[in-house]
Amino acid sequence: MIIVIILNILNILNINECGEKEEDMKNITIISVFVSLILSTFATANEVNIFNARHYKADAELYGKFTAKTGIKVNLINGKSGALEKRIIEEGADSSADLYITADAGRCGAMDAKGTLQGGLSSAAIKSAVPKNFRTSKWVGIAKRARIIYYSPERVTGAELSGMTYEGLADPKWKGRLVIRKSSNIYNKSLVASLIKNNGKKATAAWAEGVVANMARAPKGNDRAQIMAVAAGEADIAVANTYYLALMLSGKKGSEQQEAAKKVKAFFPNQDGRGTHMNVSCAALVKGAPNKKNAIALVEYLLTPEAQEHFTNNTFEFPMINGVSPSPLVVNNLGLDFKQDMNTKLSSYGKNQAAAVEVMTAAGWK
Amino acid sequence: MKINFWFLSSIIISIIVVLPILVVFSSFFQDTSNYFEILKETFFFEYVFNSLTLLIGVLFFTFILGVGAAYIVSFYEFPGSNFFKWSLILSFAVPPYIYAYSLFAFFENYGTAYTILKNLFGEGNYNQLIPKFDGMFGLILSISFSLYAYVYILARSSFLYQSQNLIELGKNLGFSKIKSFYSVILPAARPAIVAGLSLVAMETLAEFGAVDFFSVNTLTTGIYNAWIAFDDLAFANRISFFLLLFIFILFLTENLSRKKAKYHLETRGGFKIKQKIKLNGVKSFLAFAFCFILFFLSFLFPLSQMLYWTIKFPDNLFDLKLTELLLNTLYLVFLSSFVLLFFSLISNYGNRVSKNKILNILSTLSISGYAIPGVILAIAFITLIAWFDENMFQVLGLLSIKKIFIGSVLGLVIVYCIRFYSLAFNGIKSGYEKMNIAVDESAYLLGYSKFKTFSYIHLPYLRNSLLFVLILISLEIVRELPITLILRPFNFETFATTAYISASEDLLEAAAVPSLFLIVIASFFILLTSKYILRENNE
Repeated sequence: MIIVIILNILNILNINECGEKEEDMKNITIISVFVSLILSTFATANEVNIFNARHYKADAELYGKFTAKTGIKVNLINGKSGALEKRIIEEGADSSADLYITADAGRCGAMDAKGTLQGGLSSAAIKSAVPKNFRTSKWVGIAKRARIIYYSPERVTGAELSGMTYEGLADPKWKGRLVIRKSSNIYNKSLVASLIKNNGKKATAAWAEGVVANMARAPKGNDRAQIMAVAAGEADIAVANTYYLALMLSGKKGSEQQEAAKKVKAFFPNQDGRGTHMNVSCAALVKGAPNKKNAIALVEYLLTPEAQEHFTNNTFEFPMINGVSPSPLVVNNLGLDFKQDMNTKLSSYGKNQAAAVEVMTAAGWK
Repeated sequence: MKINFWFLSSIIISIIVVLPILVVFSSFFQDTSNYFEILKETFFFEYVFNSLTLLIGVLFFTFILGVGAAYIVSFYEFPGSNFFKWSLILSFAVPPYIYAYSLFAFFENYGTAYTILKNLFGEGNYNQLIPKFDGMFGLILSISFSLYAYVYILARSSFLYQSQNLIELGKNLGFSKIKSFYSVILPAARPAIVAGLSLVAMETLAEFGAVDFFSVNTLTTGIYNAWIAFDDLAFANRISFFLLLFIFILFLTENLSRKKAKYHLETRGGFKIKQKIKLNGVKSFLAFAFCFILFFLSFLFPLSQMLYWTIKFPDNLFDLKLTELLLNTLYLVFLSSFVLLFFSLISNYGNRVSKNKILNILSTLSISGYAIPGVILAIAFITLIAWFDENMFQVLGLLSIKKIFIGSVLGLVIVYCIRFYSLAFNGIKSGYEKMNIAVDESAYLLGYSKFKTFSYIHLPYLRNSLLFVLILISLEIVRELPITLILRPFNFETFATTAYISASEDLLEAAAVPSLFLIVIASFFILLTSKYILRENNE
C-alpha cells in the first residue's frame, strides 16, 4: 500500500523534474533502488491469496499443513461467495486474489463466464487426479457431494421410491409432501441447470411448476432444515446434499439433531439412468493472480490423499480422487455403491444458471 | 467570506463525506442493463412491499414497547423500577442479526425449545407444537426487540421533562390516568416519540444481517442482490435511489420533530422533578412483569441462547482466535473514533468561526450519511474508487489506487467515517451549542489565537460530549456488519464478521461465541454511556 503511494510520488517527480536537475535525478535513482529493494522483498514473498467461501474449520487446518510443508503462507479473505466474486471483478487486473475457493461448480462456471479466471490448472498431477467432467483448465473440483433425496421410512414406501428420479419430484403423488430450499440457493440452481442440460429448458420449466405444486411449505431454511422437516413430520421427502446427514449423525450438531437424522433415510435418484447429480467444491485460478505458481501448488496439494482424507473426515464430502475412502459415517449411512452422473459436465451448471433461475422464478419457486 | 485553514478543512471533510451520496444519486440517470428485465419488474414490487410490511410491523412493536416501558418507568415506582430504567437500554447491545440467530435457534425443529420440552416432559414429537418464528414475523420481532430502545430513551426523556403543570392540569380536569395519558402526556411527547420512531425506521430500512438471515427480500437486500447476482450496479443504485428518497423523508421528519421536541424541552419555569407514583399490589406486579418480560426477551433471551451454545459446543470457544478478534475490533474502533472525532471537531469549529452558508449546507448534507445503509455506502465507495482509478490515475499513467482503498483498513475507516459522521458531528455540535459565542469573543479579546481558543477553551469544555460521542461510535462500529464484510482486508475478521460468516454457512452454533463477545463488549460501552443517556436533570 505504502509502496504504491511512494511510486506514485516518484512518478510525479519523474514527470515534473526529470530533465531539469541532475542532482534530483541522482536522488531519485537512489530512492528507486531503495524502493525496488523493498518491492523485490514483496515480490518474492512466498504466499498465496485465497478468496474463500468455504468456512470449514477443517480447511484452515489444511492450509496450515500446506504452509508447514512448503513454506508458502496462505492468506485468507473469508466471505460469502457473491461478495467475494464481486470484489474480484471490481478489483479487476489489480486483484490480489490467486485462488477463489467455493462450494459449488455453478459459481466457478459463472466466474469463468465473466472472464475473471485464467487457465493453468492443467498439470499432470491435476489431470490424473480429477475426472474430466469435474474440471476445466481454469477451475478444478476438490471435493465431491451429491444432491439427493431424503425420506421418512415411516411414511414413504419402497414401492413409491422405486426408480425415483429428480424428474419424478414433479409427480403429483408427492403433492404436499416435498420440502426443498429457495430458488436463490446455488445448489438448487446447479441441480436445475443440470436438468436443463439433460431435458431442455421447456421440459424443465414444466417440471419446476410440478415441484412447486408438490411443496409442503414455502421454501425456507438451509439443507439441514429440510432434513429436519422430514424428521419432524412436516414433509415426507426432502432434497439436500449428502454431507448434511453425516454431519447431523456425527453429533457435532448436538444430540437432538443426531436423533433427528436417524429418522430419515437417504435415496440416490436416477440410478437407472444417467446417475445421481454430482457437484463439487471448486478452486478457481483468478486472472492476473500474483502468485500463480503457488496457487497451482496449493490446488495440487488439496488433491493429495492426505488432504482428501482430511476433507472426507471433517466435512463429510466424497473424495475427489480414487483410493481415498469417505468417512465411515457416510459409507455406513449413505452407502457408496451409487451411480454418479459422470456425463453431465459440471461446466454446464454455470452456463445454464441464468436459465435455471428464470425457470424457477417463472414457476413461482420462492 | 473569509477563507482560512478552518474553513478549507471543513469544506474538504464535508465534500469527502458527501461524495458517495452523490454517486448514488448520479447513477440514477445511467442506463441499466436489459438482463433480467422481467425479473426486475416482479422483484421490485416485492422489495417495496416487504420493506413496507417490515417497516410498519417494526414501528408498531417499537412504539408499544418503547413508549409503554418509558411511561411505566418515568411515572411509577415499583420493585426494580430503578434497575429497569437503565437495564432496558441493554437491548442495544444485541444487534438484530444476533437476535435473529437466537430466535431461529430456539424455535427451529429440534432446537432449544425442543430440548427444554424433552427434558421437562420426556420424549415426544414437540416439533409440531413449537411455533416457528422465521421469515417476516421473525424478522420484525428481531429488529423490534433490538431497536425499541431508541423510542424508549427519547420518550422517557420527554416524559421526564414534561411540565408538571401539564400533568396536574389533567388531574384537575378530573381525567383518569388512562385519559390523561392519551390526552395530555402522549401528545406532549409526540415529537420525541416521532424522532425515536424515525431513527428506528432508518435503521430498519438499512438492516442487512437479519434480513439476509431470514432471506426476506427488502430494498436493502435487493440492492445487494442486484449488485451481486445480476451484476447490475446501475440497477442497484437505482433501487438505492428509491430507498434514499424514502429515508430522506424520514430524515426530514426526524429533524423537524427534533426541533419541535426542543421547543417542548425548553418549557422551563414549570419544570420540577416529578414525584413518582408508588404502585402496590397487582398494579406493581403488572408493571414489574411488563418490564421484566421486555428485559428478558430483548436482552436475557439472546444472551442465554448464545451462552447455552457456547457451553454446549465448547470447541468453538477454543477454535476462535479471541485475542486477534478483540484486537481487530478494538483497532477499528479506536482508529475510526479518533479520525471521526478529529474531523468533526475541525468541521464544527470551522462552522462556528466562518458562519458560511455553503459550508452550512454541505455539513447538513454530509450528516445524512447515517441515513444511508452500510451496504449502499460500501458499494458506492467501490464505484467511486474504481471511477477515479480508471479516469484519473490510469490516464495520468500512475499506479492503481484500488489496492490502497479497497480491502484495506484505510478504506474501511473512511467508509465508517462517512457512515457515522453525523453521530460525531451532531454530538459535538450539541456540546458547542451550549457554549455561548461570547466565550470565543472574550478569548480573542484576551489575545488568544483561534488555535489557542480551540485547544485551551473549547476542548476542555467539550470533554464530556467527546467522551459520549466516542462511546457511541465505538458501540456502532462493534456492531457494524455490511461495510466491514465488503471492505475488510485479508486475514482480518471482527466479532461481527465471524458471527455472520459462521451463521451463513449453517454453523449457527459457531456464531455463538463471537456473538456472545460482541454482546458483552457492546454492553460494556452502553453501561459507560448510560449515565449520559439517562440523565435526569437539565445539565
